[in-house]
Amino acid sequence: MSSEARLVDTAFTTYQGPRAGRLAAIWSLAHWSALRALGARRGWKAKVIPISLTLLAFAPALVVLGLRAILGSGSVSRSVANAVPYSDYISTIAIVVLVFSVVITPELVCPDRRDRTLSLYFSTAIGRLDYVLGKIAAALMPLLLVTLAPVLLLYVGTVLFSVHPVGYLQANWLDLPRIIVSSLIVATFYGLVGLAISSLTSRRAFAVGGYLAFLAISTVMGGVLSHALNARYFRLLAVAAAPIRAGQGLFPKYSDPGNISPVVWGSTVVEVCVVAVIVLAVRYGRDEG
Amino acid sequence: MSAAAAAGALVEIDGVSKRYGDVVALDDVSASVTERAVGLLGANGAGKSTLMRSMLGLIRPDEGSISVMGMGIEHAWDIRRRLGYMPEHSSLPMGMTARDLVVHMGELRGLPRRVAVLRASEVLFQVGLEEERSRLIRTFSVGMRQRTNLAQAIVHSPAMVILDEPTNGLDPAGREEMLTLVRRLSADLGIAVIMSSHVLEDVVRTCDSVLVLRDGKIVATQRLAQADRVDNGEVQVQIIGDADAFATAAAALGLAVRPDGEWLLVRGDDADAVLRGVRDAAIASGAGLHELRPAGPTIEQSLIGAIG
Repeated sequence: MSSEARLVDTAFTTYQGPRAGRLAAIWSLAHWSALRALGARRGWKAKVIPISLTLLAFAPALVVLGLRAILGSGSVSRSVANAVPYSDYISTIAIVVLVFSVVITPELVCPDRRDRTLSLYFSTAIGRLDYVLGKIAAALMPLLLVTLAPVLLLYVGTVLFSVHPVGYLQANWLDLPRIIVSSLIVATFYGLVGLAISSLTSRRAFAVGGYLAFLAISTVMGGVLSHALNARYFRLLAVAAAPIRAGQGLFPKYSDPGNISPVVWGSTVVEVCVVAVIVLAVRYGRDEG
Repeated sequence: MSAAAAAGALVEIDGVSKRYGDVVALDDVSASVTERAVGLLGANGAGKSTLMRSMLGLIRPDEGSISVMGMGIEHAWDIRRRLGYMPEHSSLPMGMTARDLVVHMGELRGLPRRVAVLRASEVLFQVGLEEERSRLIRTFSVGMRQRTNLAQAIVHSPAMVILDEPTNGLDPAGREEMLTLVRRLSADLGIAVIMSSHVLEDVVRTCDSVLVLRDGKIVATQRLAQADRVDNGEVQVQIIGDADAFATAAAALGLAVRPDGEWLLVRGDDADAVLRGVRDAAIASGAGLHELRPAGPTIEQSLIGAIG
């Protein structure tokens, strides 16, 4: 051993390497929040509901593709393929998407207020705007899992099961952007509304109750008033249906049962989303704290 | 880089004021932090937390400027990425494990994922939580939560860490552990520390200097490592031999001498003049010096007086 040898405490080192920027911090917040909302790195109780709802969201696509695999390429098989058109997929699983958003979005923000973790976040490279952006991204990721992923699976499966996959793609390629945009509309709407309502309380149970009450009351009011007054535009009060109807309007063969233009549904979506963003801005936009 | 930063100041505070309605939280505070471990001492409500949060850019001062490691607080984002902060009140997510939290906080301060995982293990080892790293924070004792809080503050290898009342709520054993850890940060791990406390002993044990805040103002600054008494230009001497002859000789050199029990109190124009005078008076009178020490109050007495 050299006479100059010395013992060094190697248990603590200093980091001199590059540091990631703001986007990486937002992404970190988003992916940690999304994973935790889905029950990752938590007990099995936290995983049961998100996993069950995700499986339910995929069920129609799996059933259709499974039947097609069994039935081959005959006329019955083609009828099965048309049983759940892309335009109607989200409306078919609407209740699953609603419950999923009611379960997921409060989990993204309520614990941060309850545990006062906000002050810890804001002492890092995360600002208030970054926090809100991260949480919106965190809400979108799991919501797209139940809105976009099953329809994409159905689309890819339908392409593969068709007699002429390339011909099917050439004839139906426009359905792909329609699927993506309609899913984004639904996920963004339920994500923003869920986050806005959840931001009003630190108690998860209150957020879930408030979100359910908002959806139920608006739906009942829209239905009752449109029937009682025979005024179809009161159906717009049923805002829970607005993103689904707006998304369906992107597909050419869709006709609204209430004879309301998809553009009107779309403007309702925009208005509600703007209100949700304002609520989030008020709740998280203070300069200090 | 500012002149203060060039001169080695970690934090430069210049005329900072902050009001909340009628309440003055900070009143024209100016200070330069150059020591590796600095304590902010003051009673509850003195302005310690407001000053710390201003350094992080979490609070915008109404007046004045703050520079942290050469960066103004308009660069708060960059400052917070390089600084560590341990809040006063528990703000840890109870549903996360200590390891997950520390990795997450490392990533939020700019560490790549792989590095954050490695460093989380290191800092949890340093704070003595390596065995409990996979437990949920809600199952931790207050002391373990505070150590987790400290771990998240240093995971990204900060040049400086701001600790807001780190011993708050701890039992004597937990407090002892925390003070040892805080001292290690500046002494062994090379991390500058700014620590607030309303407990004088905590600051004396862990810091090199102290700023005393009262009613939003800095009312005293004191280095802690040099002596146990404040140098106020007066010394106490204990003489072996003819004390009267020493007093006469000292008086002849222009020093004021008065008896104080077994001691003589000697005062002059400044500390150096007094020490030279005592030496020369001892030589001239043939007296021996048994003991010589500053006659000012102890540092503890001085700081307690400043805290008010």
